[in-house]
Amino acid sequence: MSVAEVRLKAQPGLIAVPYRRVSAATLAANVVLVLLGCFFLIPMLWMLFASIDSNPDWAIKLPSPTLANFREVLARPETVIAFRSSLILAGTTTVVTTVLAMLAAYPLSRMHIPLKRPFMLGILFAAGLPVSMLIVPVYQLYVTLGWLDSLYTTALFLAATSLPFAIWLMKNFIDAVPIELEQAAAIDGASTPRIVRQVVLPLVVPGLAVTAIYTFINAWGAFVVPFVLMYSPEDQPGPIEIYNFMGSHGLFKFGDLAVFSLLFSIPVIVLYLVMSRYFSGAFNFGGAVRG
Amino acid sequence: MLTQVRFEGVYKLFGAETAVEDLNLTVEAGEFMVLVGPSGCGKTTTLRMLAGLERPSYGRIYIGDKVVNNVSPRFRDIAMVFQSYALYPHMDVYDNLAFGMRARGAARADVDRRVKETAEVLGLGQLLKRRPAELSGGQRQRVALGRALIRQPQVFLMDEPLSNLDAGLRVQMRAELSRLHRRFNVTTLYVTHDQVEAMTMGDRIAVMNGGRLQQVDVPETIYDNPANIFVAGFIGSPRMNFVPGRMVSDGGRPAVRFLDVTLPIHLTAASTHEAPEEVTVGIRPEDLVWRPAAPPSCTVALPAEVDVVEPMGHEAYVTAVCSGQTVISRFPPRSGVRTRERVELALNPERLHLFDARSGESILLRTPAGEATTPPSTREAWTSDAGKTQPESPDQGEAPSVPVNRPKK
Amino acid sequence: MLAPALALLGMLFIFPVLYSTYLGFTNLELVGSRSHDYSFTGLENVTRMLGDYVFIKSTWLTAVFVLGSAIIGQSVLGMALAMLLRKAVLPIRAVVGSVVIIAWVLPEITVALVWYAFSQAGGTLSLLLRHPDSNYLVLVPMLIVSVANLWRNVAFSMLVFSAGLRNLPTEVLEAAEVEGASAWRRYWLVIVPLLKPTIVTNLLLVTILNLSEFTLIYAMTQGGPGTDTMTLPLYVYQEAFVFNQLGYGTAISLVLVVFGAVFSLLFVRAARTQV
Repeated sequence: MSVAEVRLKAQPGLIAVPYRRVSAATLAANVVLVLLGCFFLIPMLWMLFASIDSNPDWAIKLPSPTLANFREVLARPETVIAFRSSLILAGTTTVVTTVLAMLAAYPLSRMHIPLKRPFMLGILFAAGLPVSMLIVPVYQLYVTLGWLDSLYTTALFLAATSLPFAIWLMKNFIDAVPIELEQAAAIDGASTPRIVRQVVLPLVVPGLAVTAIYTFINAWGAFVVPFVLMYSPEDQPGPIEIYNFMGSHGLFKFGDLAVFSLLFSIPVIVLYLVMSRYFSGAFNFGGAVRG
Repeated sequence: MLTQVRFEGVYKLFGAETAVEDLNLTVEAGEFMVLVGPSGCGKTTTLRMLAGLERPSYGRIYIGDKVVNNVSPRFRDIAMVFQSYALYPHMDVYDNLAFGMRARGAARADVDRRVKETAEVLGLGQLLKRRPAELSGGQRQRVALGRALIRQPQVFLMDEPLSNLDAGLRVQMRAELSRLHRRFNVTTLYVTHDQVEAMTMGDRIAVMNGGRLQQVDVPETIYDNPANIFVAGFIGSPRMNFVPGRMVSDGGRPAVRFLDVTLPIHLTAASTHEAPEEVTVGIRPEDLVWRPAAPPSCTVALPAEVDVVEPMGHEAYVTAVCSGQTVISRFPPRSGVRTRERVELALNPERLHLFDARSGESILLRTPAGEATTPPSTREAWTSDAGKTQPESPDQGEAPSVPVNRPKK
Repeated sequence: MLAPALALLGMLFIFPVLYSTYLGFTNLELVGSRSHDYSFTGLENVTRMLGDYVFIKSTWLTAVFVLGSAIIGQSVLGMALAMLLRKAVLPIRAVVGSVVIIAWVLPEITVALVWYAFSQAGGTLSLLLRHPDSNYLVLVPMLIVSVANLWRNVAFSMLVFSAGLRNLPTEVLEAAEVEGASAWRRYWLVIVPLLKPTIVTNLLLVTILNLSEFTLIYAMTQGGPGTDTMTLPLYVYQEAFVFNQLGYGTAISLVLVVFGAVFSLLFVRAARTQV
């Protein structure tokens, strides 16, 4: 109760009219929401419970809690390798994508390029193309180049597929920076690279962060591309490891699988929380979603 | 049907902030009540509470004789004109007008008849197929009005409906609204920050400031007998002049000293209330005129030096410095006075207002007969029924407009 | 400055796209004689597709998947969530909102895994439904896969609709309420028409994004049992990399692209007119 309310209550003669605190509609809405929340929570719960269960099964059950699963998974070298691979893959993709997107988005935003409009629309179009169309010829290409089975070359392709949307995101972020600042810098005699580096870049850092995090989250969970372009079992990134685990029925331990999945998912969840806390406008996709 | 609206002990708190404090107000059946005050004074919140879009924190709201606190806006049988008109942008004018009736399940033929009638009254007959985006501001406003009228509700609520119109249109619509009210006679609560609208349109005016009701009365009384400095300064343009003064004793009789003159105050009833020493004297610009052009009632002469002359065409607003105080006076249009000129201003002592310098309350009440009295308790007189003499006084929150002989407390 | 991006895109994006278009009309294979001596075969692949029972089934499955899980499922549930969340008390709003979004942020493989576990014989779903021996992934594979996809993706639609609802003019809705419209009426006659641009945007985006869904389905069922969940993206993979029919596989992917292109163009056209 705020100070004002306390003061008022002390005075005589206040007429308080009882309210139905909560209307039927609001109550129904909240109940439905809780039910829906359960629908979303329950499948996830398996992963949580099975990971700390000493005797897990497919179903959610009350765990006989243990950390043995965690110890086991963390001790295994494959776990570390998988994480390392994913980190390399996602990290390389993110760096390449973000840098190239920034470089490409600046001229698209600021300069008068012929055919800019169709180009931007083409970018949007490209962002929606199914990977399946690209994967076959790229596979062929990689075979010829001998680029198969390498995390770095795979990252290159992932970057290429992430680039259209990243460029679109960055362009919107750069659009939001007032051009007068750059014009002032130009009048002061700064060259274009310097302007970009010292004027635009600092202001666009949130946008860069959003793009980078978005790209990273996508690359971290990437499955198809590494699945096709990498074949040797040593360097497989996380998702492939999990898939392989799933395929070997009965030979694996549910608990370990749950632990590994949980551990693998945590970085992305953390990143998402970071992104939403500090960039609350991010999920307007930079203002892209109009409604 | 004519319905009365009543606020009883209404408060609205937003967290720690009190938007409306202890509101007691009655809008009589068929009355056009203007709720006026500066931004943030609580008038829009009050209106929205009546509409049901906000819930009072304390207190009761009556429409007719029904307590409507728990009644949803849908069932209150009120109509509201929003400041932004709030027309349905995706519907044409016909559907905008028809929406309310259709929502209540009216028959197609009835809807059609009433839409056409309302459109006729408001001059919208040719625009029925247009969308709001294709209409001018004035046309949109009339559609908003039509949407409210068509339902023939018990109460009309209007939230600054004229503030988005340009000046010329505003004057026109003021007259239009008054005409509509005379014709349909629906109880109306009209919110505005423009005191001109308040004075010209209201049967009664309720002045609010800082969440509190300052004074409720007919326009003439609000103008002639403002309850406190705020009301005095808010109503009337140009603003009333306020100068500091002191109550002194002039040969045993009460007098006030200000602007280097001392004027006796004639009281017909012995004051039972201890008058404060420090007072603020209020003089309306039209009561402080250029001596050569002054009517005979302006008996007191004050020397002043002209500071700024603002010719308004039909008159001139002259800012002058008099005994160290800056005052505004209304001069005839072509008086020929110039800056730095020394002039004489004449004051009508019968038209002085006196306010307690600390509380801002008025300490002088003028009856139509020209007598002056000090009310027993100034605060109570204006906002409670403590000083009422008429037994059938309808409600709380009314200032007695004609205080006659007060029984001694 | 554009150069590096263009170079990468050119090599790994535009070139593959163009090459794909060519490849789809050849009889290239991954291994064997045809991996070197392949030739342009014209419309042979097309005829093959039309006579391919699995292709037809796959197209049908894809349509069902996109229509059910995405167009209907995501949009309806996303809108419902957006509307309900507005009325929710703060703790529920925070928790349910977060849970829905976490489902979206999880790597697809994790989603596949938890839903795999959920629908197995002996898994939570079978226990809830009291049929501990039923493996729903085998019994109703398309349903499970569609629901899992919906589960994963609905947050997107929810966010789109939340933004749309927030941008609605409040006074118009208040006016409707004062005029006596019930919640149902307000929703259908005022809110939905005002949300039309958002709804269209959502529909198109959701279609494009879900058309090429691969990981979730493949990880859960590999297209099975049999070919019961073999949507087009999975079929492309199977033909191209399992049966080594690169030419034919690409041809199938081109069909997918045509569908996607149609919807992308619709989206671009709609986005333009909204500006």
